[in-house]
Amino acid sequence: MPPQAQQFLDTLNTTLPLEGYLVVGAIMFAIGAWGALIRRNAVVVFMCIELMLNAVNLTLVAFADYLPGAGGVGVGYAVLVIAVAAAEVAVGLAVVLAVYRTRKTVNVDEVNLMKG
Amino acid sequence: MVVAFVFLASMTLISALGVVLSRSVVHSALFMSGSFLGIAGFFVMLNAPVLAAFQVLIYVGAVTVVILFGIMFTQKPQVRGFGTIINQQIWPGLYIAIGVGAFLAYVLTIEDWTATEPGNGPREVGVLGEILLGVNGAPPIFQLLFEVISVLLLVAMVAAIVISRRKVGEGVDRQGVEE
Amino acid sequence: MTQQTVGQQLIIAAIPVLPALVFVVLALFGRYIREGAQYIATFGVATSLVFSGFALATVASSGVPIEFAVNWIDLGEGGSFPMGVYIDGLAAVMLVVVCFVSLMIQLYSGAFMQDDRRFAWYYAVLNLFTASMLGLVLAPNFIELYVFWELVGLCSYLLIGHWFEKPSAAKAAQKAFIVTRIGDAALFIGIIMFWRQTGTTSFQGISEAAQAGFIGDSLFTAAVILVFVGAIGKSAQFPLHVWLPDAMEGPTPVSALIHAATMVAAGVYLVARTYEIFVQSPIAMLVVAYIGGFTALMAATMALTKSDIKRVIAYSTISQLGYMMLALGIGAYTEGFFHLFNHAFFKALLFLGAGSIIYSMGSYNVLNMGGLRHRMPITFWTMVIAGLSLAGIFPLAGFWSKDAIVAAAFVEHFYVLFGMALLTVFLTAFYIFRAIFLAFMGEPRTEEAREAAESPGLMTGPMVILAFLSVVSGWIGIPEGFGLPIRDYFAKFIAPSEFAAETLALEPPSFSFIMAALSVLVAVAGIVLAYAFYVPKPEWASSLAYRFSSVWTFFDKGWYFDALYDALFVRPAMAVGRVVREFDLRALGGLVSGVGRGFSGAGERLRPLQSGGAQNYALFILFSVLILGVIVGAQYAFLVVALILGIALAAVAVGARL
Repeated sequence: MPPQAQQFLDTLNTTLPLEGYLVVGAIMFAIGAWGALIRRNAVVVFMCIELMLNAVNLTLVAFADYLPGAGGVGVGYAVLVIAVAAAEVAVGLAVVLAVYRTRKTVNVDEVNLMKG
Repeated sequence: MVVAFVFLASMTLISALGVVLSRSVVHSALFMSGSFLGIAGFFVMLNAPVLAAFQVLIYVGAVTVVILFGIMFTQKPQVRGFGTIINQQIWPGLYIAIGVGAFLAYVLTIEDWTATEPGNGPREVGVLGEILLGVNGAPPIFQLLFEVISVLLLVAMVAAIVISRRKVGEGVDRQGVEE
Repeated sequence: MTQQTVGQQLIIAAIPVLPALVFVVLALFGRYIREGAQYIATFGVATSLVFSGFALATVASSGVPIEFAVNWIDLGEGGSFPMGVYIDGLAAVMLVVVCFVSLMIQLYSGAFMQDDRRFAWYYAVLNLFTASMLGLVLAPNFIELYVFWELVGLCSYLLIGHWFEKPSAAKAAQKAFIVTRIGDAALFIGIIMFWRQTGTTSFQGISEAAQAGFIGDSLFTAAVILVFVGAIGKSAQFPLHVWLPDAMEGPTPVSALIHAATMVAAGVYLVARTYEIFVQSPIAMLVVAYIGGFTALMAATMALTKSDIKRVIAYSTISQLGYMMLALGIGAYTEGFFHLFNHAFFKALLFLGAGSIIYSMGSYNVLNMGGLRHRMPITFWTMVIAGLSLAGIFPLAGFWSKDAIVAAAFVEHFYVLFGMALLTVFLTAFYIFRAIFLAFMGEPRTEEAREAAESPGLMTGPMVILAFLSVVSGWIGIPEGFGLPIRDYFAKFIAPSEFAAETLALEPPSFSFIMAALSVLVAVAGIVLAYAFYVPKPEWASSLAYRFSSVWTFFDKGWYFDALYDALFVRPAMAVGRVVREFDLRALGGLVSGVGRGFSGAGERLRPLQSGGAQNYALFILFSVLILGVIVGAQYAFLVVALILGIALAAVAVGARL
């Protein structure tokens, strides 16, 4: 094996830094936030919120794995977050349905009775 | 390891972008589940395979389906132009989102994490179970939280049913038949 | 000093208190009393007159002054200000004069102010004035004097502006008050200077302290001159004389009382009262004398051209007060006060005569009169008597005092002042008889003059009494040198204190027939010239005025003093006032309403934020969280504060439209 290739394989096998997961989580959170602010369709907004929640989960579990004194508690929290997110999706979509029935639209910016 | 990380990261982020920028709602939903799968992969890499299973089951399995149902009930799934799917806040939103992301990244990376080592995650189901029930060294608060979450799920189910049921004389069927 | 019984003290104290009580009663209940006010007022003053007579008798018989005081403010050493009474010969005579003239005026006003809307208020203020003047006369120290000095000024303001619906009257009242205020301020500074140096404000105390050398020379002279400036303001001497002619806007009885007999005499009284202090500063005495002499001459020239008879008499008052100051300045204490005594009577009479004319004719302009001699005989004869007394014709009252002053100026080697005084005698005779001839002789020039009738008895009565006094009041002061077997009562009664006499080291006064003849001759020449100019050939006067028109205008415009003061002081003050008003309106007012406008404007501009769109709100929330995170993270706490302040200021500025 040529030394550069060996070196390359070594770098491929090193333990990953914690910051990697954290940065990925941050970027995913940002993308989710952007989407939640931008899209007109209410369901798509929901999806972006799910993205944000997942980003948080990722961060939690990364900390649970890397921090020695935590005892893996972050994973337990992640489970709870998943449960809450699921509940929220159910109720939220029910609301979207109800709004659709009365206003015949799913666009968020057409539901603006509170204007002014 | 690095290869897997890079692959999963790109899959997750590109799928996330796809959720935001896709012109069809159904495509957004599918991109979303792709993103979930990437996250599940991350969980495996992070020594929490149980959680990865939960992730796939609940998110990719249940949440995606519920959302697809929601799409089906509320709109005609056609491809629209960018102007109709994106509202006025695109550029301010972009800047703020970049700001938030940068801020978070900065705050998270500025700490000194060199003392950490991977490998502390709950590799086995039993360990996760003990954590969730708050026994054997896990924080006891989890007992309460576990029970509360159960109640929450029940309440959410009931609420979903109540909010979305049809009242008499309201709404139009897809075929135009009045109820 | 003999101890007074409580009864005597009460009687003395009642002299100023009775008119003050009348003021309170009339001010509170005048609306219901109305015409009855004159009876209450007259009763009050008459009683005060009787009590003053009592005081005079006591002082004359015992020969020692009446003195008592109560402690008003006592702050310890150097801070005790008593309120009290000090009546010596000077004060006793002044009390009687003030009460008597006030009584005459109040009787006269009953008819003159008959249909006035504020009849009772007029009498109320008149009595307040009488009370203040009496209080001023009784004061034994500077503080009490100053209190009543200011009160007198206030009453003058109220009375000049009695008909305040007339803008000219309101302005005249303001002018009087402001000009005398300058004098009052100087007086107060002088009082403070004396008090700081000696620790007391009583006249006696300051005089003794000055003798003992407690006050440095230049400081002492400065303080004395400042006190004299107060007298200048009150007595309308140069350069603060500009308010007296304008003060003629007030009712004529007011002019008679205040601006002839009593208030303007307060300045002379002040100098006489503090004579022991004045004589210790030779420079101050010279200042007094020369200002007096100059004022006498200046005012006499200004009276030459006036056609408003009240203005003529007003300038005459200024001129005669100048005589009194002249006399006091050269050391002729007795003669100066004697002239004040006589002047009160004939000057008041002149004013009452003018009031009588307007009562029957409705005009003060002598050019509208003429031939009133036949239609208003009492007025005519009383005014002639007053005019003769004013001119100083033997044997009327004015002669004895005025001639004494002129002679004293000559004897004391003040030749410049002697010349000024003699010239003023000529001018005085001329202008007063010019006015009298124009008004009473010849043919009636207007309809009102033809219809004029004599005034009611309530007015002519006091005039006759005063005319009688104008003749005889001088006879109590006939000097022994004249050859009559009458003693000079006045000189015995009112003389400078021993200390003052020693300091002045004057030559003993003697009567010189030559001087007397000279002044009478000059006066008669003035009368003859007035007659010649105005009765047979009035064209001479107008042609002379035409030939010397610039001089005529100079005199007519009061030596341009009003114009000068207007340019120097009034205009800049008005400009400052305008600037301040604009500042108040724009800046302060703008600020206040700007705050309100700012906030409502800011609110209006913030309104579009409530777009009703949830995503919009979410955008703002995320943005705020980001900002907060950055700030907290970087610990830029002051940024938050600066941000809040900036927003508030911007709102105010926008609102105030700065």
